[in-house]
Amino acid sequence: MERLPQLDLEIRSLRKRYGSFTAVDGVSLEVGKGQFVCLLGPSGCGKTTTLRCVAGLEEPDDGDILIGGREVTRDPPWQRDIAMMFQDFALFPHMTVAKQVGFGLEMLGKPRADIAKRVAEVLAAFEITQLADRKPTSLSGGQRQRVALARAMITEPRILLLDEPIGALDYSLRETVMIELKQLQQRSGISFIWVTHDQNEAFSLGDHVVVMNHARIEQQGAPEDILQRPRTPFVAGFVQGNNSFFGKVAQADGGMLRIEGAAGSFLVPGGGRAIGSAASFSIRAERMGPAGPQHENRLSVRCVTVEYFGSIRRYILERAGGSVLKLDQFGAEPAWLRTGETAEIGWATADCVLHDAEGAAAPELVAA
Amino acid sequence: MSTIRARSPAAYWLALPATLWMMAAVVVPVGMIVWVSFWGGRAFSPDSPLTFDNYNRFFANRTYLGLVLETLRHTATMMAICGVLGYAIAYFLVVKVRSARWRTVLFLAFVIPFWTSALIRAIAWVPFLGVNGVINQMLLATGLAEKPVEVFLYSRTGISMAQVSLYTLMASGPVVYMLAQIPPALREAAMTLKAPPVTVFRRVIFPLTLPGVVIGQVLVFLNVMADFATVQTIGGNKIALLPNLVINFYEGAQHRAAAVVAVLLMLCMLAGVAAALRVVDIRRLGAT
Repeated sequence: MERLPQLDLEIRSLRKRYGSFTAVDGVSLEVGKGQFVCLLGPSGCGKTTTLRCVAGLEEPDDGDILIGGREVTRDPPWQRDIAMMFQDFALFPHMTVAKQVGFGLEMLGKPRADIAKRVAEVLAAFEITQLADRKPTSLSGGQRQRVALARAMITEPRILLLDEPIGALDYSLRETVMIELKQLQQRSGISFIWVTHDQNEAFSLGDHVVVMNHARIEQQGAPEDILQRPRTPFVAGFVQGNNSFFGKVAQADGGMLRIEGAAGSFLVPGGGRAIGSAASFSIRAERMGPAGPQHENRLSVRCVTVEYFGSIRRYILERAGGSVLKLDQFGAEPAWLRTGETAEIGWATADCVLHDAEGAAAPELVAA
Repeated sequence: MSTIRARSPAAYWLALPATLWMMAAVVVPVGMIVWVSFWGGRAFSPDSPLTFDNYNRFFANRTYLGLVLETLRHTATMMAICGVLGYAIAYFLVVKVRSARWRTVLFLAFVIPFWTSALIRAIAWVPFLGVNGVINQMLLATGLAEKPVEVFLYSRTGISMAQVSLYTLMASGPVVYMLAQIPPALREAAMTLKAPPVTVFRRVIFPLTLPGVVIGQVLVFLNVMADFATVQTIGGNKIALLPNLVINFYEGAQHRAAAVVAVLLMLCMLAGVAAALRVVDIRRLGAT
C-alpha cells in the first residue's frame, strides 16, 4: 500500500453499534485531495452512519478518522474542517437567506464587513442574490438546495459531506443539479463525499464509488471497475445490468474454472478454487447475445418481455429453471427476439467475472 | 362534501351557538362589571349616575396602589421563575430524554397533578408547607434544619413555592411543543457550521422556541394575576394581592369597589397580552 502524499480523509476500521445492531462494521476508506467519492448502498447499509461519523455527529465505537492528516475521531463537529449538506437541507427557518449563508463565517468570527462582502459574492455565484432577504419557507425546492449549498460552501471546508443531497428535489431538476454540483466540485477542489442509494448518481458523479451493504464495504473503486468487474454477488445484483450465476467448481485447470449450477455448466476465467467449493460469477447484459460458434457458454431461454429505451433494447429472459436474466442490445439494431419466443443465447468465456470466494471484498486503497 | 369556506353563510351559522354562549357567559357579564364600576351616588341601583368617583377613591388610596404594584411585582417574579424552570424541564424532556417511554412517563408525572382543580391543588400544599408539614419533617429528619421553618406557610415564600409548582407546567407546555417541532438536523447543521452548543442554543434553538416562551409567559401571567385561591389558602389572611381585594370588597358588600378592582385587573391582563402579541404573533404559530 503506497501512502498518498496528502489525503483529505482517511477512515481506518470504523465501527459503530446501536445496541445489538451493527451500523458500521470495519469500514476503511481513503479520499485523496479534491476527490468526488460516492457512498452507495441500500437503506440501512451504514453509508449515512459513516458520513455522520466523519461529520462528528456520531461517535464511533472503534476506528480512526483523519481529516487532512489530523486525527479527529473524538473531536466535536464544530472543530472539524468539514461542512455538510443535509437531505432536507436543514435551513434555519427564522433566518433570511443572507443571514443563513453568512452563519458559518459569523461562527468563525470574521468581521461583519468581510462577511457581508463574501455573502454577496457567494449569493451571486449561486445566482440567488434576489433571494437574500427571503426566509426559507418562501423558497422552492431548487432554491433551498442552492441556499443550503451556498451555506455549506462559504467556509471553504476541506471536505463537503452530502447526505442524499438531491433526493428531496423534483425528478426533473436532479439531472441539472447533478451536473452543476460536479462542476462546482471540480472548480473548488473541495472533496465531496456523497451518500446515495441511487446508482445513477453514484456512477455518473463519483471518481470513486464505495458500495456498502450490511455495515460493510462490498467493493470500492472507479465506476467502470465496479460496473464491469463486480467482485461479490451483492454488487453484481445491486448495480444494473449484471446476470449472476451460482454453482460449484467442477473442474479447474489452465486458469479456467468449470462452474456447474442449476442453470447449467459454464467456463469462467479464474483459479485457486478447490473442486466442489461454491462459486459465483456474473456476466453483463450487453455481453450476451444470440448463441454463435464462438460461444463456449450457452443457455436456452424464453423471452418474457422486451423493453425499449432508445439507446438500448432490453430483453427480459426466463430460463427453464425459472430464474430471470437481462440481455441488452443496441437500440439501433433490429430486434432478434420477440415476446414468447425461445432462443439459445451465448457469451464469451472472457466476459465472465468470477466473484471473490468470500462474500465481501477486503477494503482497498483509493486510486488518486 | 365540500369544506366550508370562510365567510360563507354556513360558516356564520356554525359560529352562532358559540357566539351566543360567549355573549351570555363573558361579554355581557364583563360589560355589566364595567358598568357597575362607574355607578356613582349613594344608592346601588341601575339609576345611578355614571361617574369616576369609584376610580378616584381607589387611586387616592396609597395602600391599594401599593397592592397593584405588589401584584405586578409578584407576577413578574413568578413569570421569571416559572419561565426558566419550565424551559429547563421542556428542554430536558424533549432533547435529553431519548427514550420515548420515559418521556411519556415523565410528561404524565408533570401533567397528572393538573387534572385536579386549582383550588384543590392550592389546599394540597398546606400539609406540605406547615410547621409540622412534610417539608419541615424532611428537613428535621435529615438534619438540614434544627427547628421547623415557619416561613413556608402563611407567607409570601410559601405562596411563591406553591405557585411555582402550579404554573411551571404552563410555561413548559408550549415550549415542549415548539422544541418538539425543531428537526434535529437544524442543531446538527449549526454544529457543522462551526457553532458550539451554547451558540446553537442562542442562535437557533431559543429563537425558534420564542413563541412558546411567550405563550407560556402569557399563561403564567394570566393565572398568577387571577390566582386568589393560592394566596388565600397558603397566605392565610395575612397576605392579599389584587384578586383577593376583589373578594374582600365583595364580601364587604362594596360591589362598586369590587367592580373597579376587577376592571383594573382585566386592564392589566389585556395590556400584558397585547405586549406579548407585539413580540410574537401567536395567531401565526401554525405556519412556522
